[in-house]
Amino acid sequence: MVERFVFARIQRIPDSTLRGLAERLARLVLENWFFALVFVLLWRFPYIVADLSGSQVKPSRPTGDSAFWQSEMARALTLACLAMSYNLLFGFSGIVSFGHALFFGAGGYVTFILMGHYDAGLQHKALVLVLLVALGLALFSRLRARALVVVTLSGVLLALLLLPAEGAISFWQAAAVALLLSLIVSLTSGVVTLRVRGIYFAMFTLALAEVFWVLAKSGTFRSYTGAEDGLAFRSLLPPALNVTPTADGSRLTMYHWTVVFFAIIFLAIRRYMSSPVGRVMLAIRDNEERAQTIGYHTLFYKVLTMVFAGAIATLSGLLFMIWATDKIVHPDTLSLAYTVDPLLNTLIGGVGTLTGPVIATLGLHLGETYLRNETFTLGTRVFGLLAVWQIIALAIAGALVGVFRHSLTRLGERLIGAGPRTPRYERLMLAYRGGVFVTLAAVLLLIGGQLRGEAEAVYNVADLWDLFLGALFVVVVMVLPHGIVGTWNRLWATRRLRRLERQMRQEREAAGASKP
Amino acid sequence: MVEETFILEGKGLRKEFGSLVAVADVDIRVRAGELHAIIGPNGAGKTTLFNLLSGNLRPTGGTVWFKGRDITAEPLHRRVHLGIGRSFQITNIFPSLTVLENVRLAAQALGGDSFKFWWHFRRFAQYTETALTAIAQVGLSDKLAVPAAVLPHGDQRKLELAILLASDAELLLLDEPTAGMATEQVPPLMETIRAIQRGTGKTIMLVEHNMNVVMTSSDRITVMHLGAVLAEGTPAEIARNETVQQAYLGELYGDFAGIIGGAST
Amino acid sequence: MHSYFAHLSPQHRRSWLLVVAYVAVLLTISLADFGANTAGQTMFRGVLLGMLIFLVASGLSLIFGLLDVLNFAQGAFLLIGAYVGYDVYLRVDGSADVRFLAAIISGVVFVALIGAIMEMGLIRPLYARPVFQLVLTFGLGAIFLDLVERYYGADPKQPLAPPSLLNSNFSLFGQSLSYYRLFIIVLGIVMMIGVFLLLNRTRIGIIIRAGVQDPEMVQALGINVWRVFTLVFVLGAGLAALGGIALIPYQGATLGMGNQFLILAIVVIVIGGMGSFEGTAIASIIVGLTRAVAEQLSLAHFNAPVLAETSVLLLMIAVLLVQPNGLFGRGE
Repeated sequence: MVERFVFARIQRIPDSTLRGLAERLARLVLENWFFALVFVLLWRFPYIVADLSGSQVKPSRPTGDSAFWQSEMARALTLACLAMSYNLLFGFSGIVSFGHALFFGAGGYVTFILMGHYDAGLQHKALVLVLLVALGLALFSRLRARALVVVTLSGVLLALLLLPAEGAISFWQAAAVALLLSLIVSLTSGVVTLRVRGIYFAMFTLALAEVFWVLAKSGTFRSYTGAEDGLAFRSLLPPALNVTPTADGSRLTMYHWTVVFFAIIFLAIRRYMSSPVGRVMLAIRDNEERAQTIGYHTLFYKVLTMVFAGAIATLSGLLFMIWATDKIVHPDTLSLAYTVDPLLNTLIGGVGTLTGPVIATLGLHLGETYLRNETFTLGTRVFGLLAVWQIIALAIAGALVGVFRHSLTRLGERLIGAGPRTPRYERLMLAYRGGVFVTLAAVLLLIGGQLRGEAEAVYNVADLWDLFLGALFVVVVMVLPHGIVGTWNRLWATRRLRRLERQMRQEREAAGASKP
Repeated sequence: MVEETFILEGKGLRKEFGSLVAVADVDIRVRAGELHAIIGPNGAGKTTLFNLLSGNLRPTGGTVWFKGRDITAEPLHRRVHLGIGRSFQITNIFPSLTVLENVRLAAQALGGDSFKFWWHFRRFAQYTETALTAIAQVGLSDKLAVPAAVLPHGDQRKLELAILLASDAELLLLDEPTAGMATEQVPPLMETIRAIQRGTGKTIMLVEHNMNVVMTSSDRITVMHLGAVLAEGTPAEIARNETVQQAYLGELYGDFAGIIGGAST
Repeated sequence: MHSYFAHLSPQHRRSWLLVVAYVAVLLTISLADFGANTAGQTMFRGVLLGMLIFLVASGLSLIFGLLDVLNFAQGAFLLIGAYVGYDVYLRVDGSADVRFLAAIISGVVFVALIGAIMEMGLIRPLYARPVFQLVLTFGLGAIFLDLVERYYGADPKQPLAPPSLLNSNFSLFGQSLSYYRLFIIVLGIVMMIGVFLLLNRTRIGIIIRAGVQDPEMVQALGINVWRVFTLVFVLGAGLAALGGIALIPYQGATLGMGNQFLILAIVVIVIGGMGSFEGTAIASIIVGLTRAVAEQLSLAHFNAPVLAETSVLLLMIAVLLVQPNGLFGRGE
């Protein structure tokens, strides 16, 4: 309706070029109204929180809900970028990497080590070393990917140009070098390992990230990395990026830049996936050998995607650390935790969907932040509806039905008779499954009601959050493989297909009737 | 004698899997513009030979020549760019992509735009055009937006053909294009293949299990047995060939006996 | 043994030569650098570490070979085994012998039980979705680690007294060594031979080996492959747990040990070749030796453990580049 109204107005524009322009603009906004809305909401988020809580958007002291939620939202957005980059590999390309944290953590480490220990003489040696390693890998890997070697070479040359010959290095130069370094690492490791079976790639990335984590923690490089304590960078950060909540609103500005960063990454990934390359990646995920036999050098596309994902992870990692309140790069940013986190969010949100990882990351991260300080007992009611133990009982019943759905189906078919998937069969099966769930839930609720009196212990949400995530992870993998958004999309697609089928049948019938 | 032009040649091709010799020193030559069929019973090494020619397998010995050029060492994707396209015995498509996208990707592979990750793919309309033409040739135009996985089997085979057509190969290698199809669907598909060959002048080489299918529609037939070439010639020559008759009439293969006897299986 | 070498493929024969040459190089380096005694001690430590790695890696390799599942939770199995064993050791009354035995039995049984439940309940429905299987074991590994931390705390546990029988010392290469270290090596060798015999001399082993080659074929013969799958998974889990408990008197229990050994086991599998039992056994020892020599070298020359921590990974990268399927792997 809105559409018709807008286009009717546009038709009345007399100038034809202007009309065309307006038409394109209107189409762009109307087609992406959802994303535009989300962007506006994110942009206004500090003000909304400020209005709701009665706090200031630009407080002069580091207090207040708005300031707090600005940094939490910013952190969540950078984590969402990480999840999206992981999804680019795992969801859109079918590449399972268990070392994505390496790129996430590398951004902060490389940037701030470079800034803190900049030595113009050393840079040449280091770059030559990187160059030699890259060249050696490319030569020894029995791969004639000359284009990739050329890219590496130009990356190193660019880094040489970026690094100042004397004096200190600026934050931006250091960050650019970090990005280049991540490009080179993802490029070489991709070229070396992506051509072997996926499982080798998973193992290789896991080992690589683990080694860098150990290195970051080891006391040997304490003067560089700060070992277990992490690398403190407060003094290195340019004032513009130092998000202390002062009256001049540097935090708010930084928040808005973060939103812009997020939007750019989101759009870049969207464009990447709808570009010719993205189409090829979908083909490779579906059937790699076939993609080769229609003429694609699949390794090239896989490496390109990995480089892209690695670069996004590096940038979002750096931004994540800038938002850290203690201004320390922790070695944990290189650990498995930051591979598991995007993996989990991708799975829960929906593998291979654009919005899934974002929704899951924002929901889980903000949810955890919101509930972190809450405590509950098993009898506490959630939103005044059900008690915690009742929810747990229902969840267990649901998980059991989900996990054992194959055995249940077999059992059910013994009851109602196996058969073709007629509507009657479907109805009976649904009733049967529902019956099993209700019975199970009732039994569990009864048992739980009996046990409840003994359990009045008080739990912290923060303590149990990881456990909750773990349970959620297992349930999603086992029962909901397409995640929230994926399942939603599928439901809609099925409905559309049904409608289409009905339409076609009707048309066919109409055509048959008109025929003599 | 006029020198004949061979578009594809296999010289002394050999493939061993461990101690098993799947293809034993086979010489095969395909004339440009012809429809050349390889037939033989299961396990005769047809598909292996095919994979050697297409590059899906590396030969243990021997060389493959395409238009007078040694391509034995060329990887798969390079062969496509040289002009060799192939289909598979088991249906080999991109199941979650739509019919149009399946074919469009094949068209896109030949152009030089596949690495442009900064443009939307719709910008390159020429590939969609090519794809639409190819899809029309095989008669799937009414199913453009259907995901390939939900197509009926016969349509999936047609889709494979469309993918090949869109990749604009001079030489099409079809591995049992009629595999798994209902009997009544086979002749129309063979007609489509024949029509494509006549209409475009492309060379088509196909592997068939069922001799019936190729007797009427091919220009030349190679019969394989136990990894070696048993006979080669026009369909009429093959039908008369004594070795073929001895090999198949006598004991083993009922369907071949039936064909040579003129009856339909 | 003679017939074994006669039937080797050329690639495997070359791999054997490489292995022997590599070990000889390691030996020469350490002899030249540290002198006979230290070199001997280093080699001893290397073999010891190799045996421990083997206990984790053999399970990983067996499970992968048969089920095509790379079990990233294998490190967590070791971790759980160690912590549960540790817990039982402290709770049981009696001499160190009784405590240790109780720890071994309870730890192995507990982890085997977890393995069985995991295979039947979680892994089995996912055979049609291998990527999710991979992700699931990886996620479960992280969850198990979290649970162990929650239940037993993050502090490292001190080494406990080994059984009295093994609590005395013997002298080797001029150093006094605990018999317990010898015990670990013997345990490793026993397990190596045990699994080898199980695979080669028993009916179930024949089924497992046949299943590695062609699971569908085995199923077609009317054998319940599911039960064999579960058995192998349980066996792998149990071996890892055994490794974890064997570590207690040696270096105590820490939260990091699971992933540390998982990484080492992965390196072993990549080097040895996926699904190859002999490859796993040989590569375990090679990795152990490499690590020990690298540790000794970095201690002597660089005063930094960095070389030791990265040496094994560098070895893996080298093998991946030269022989992507591993030294004794199947495939082209």
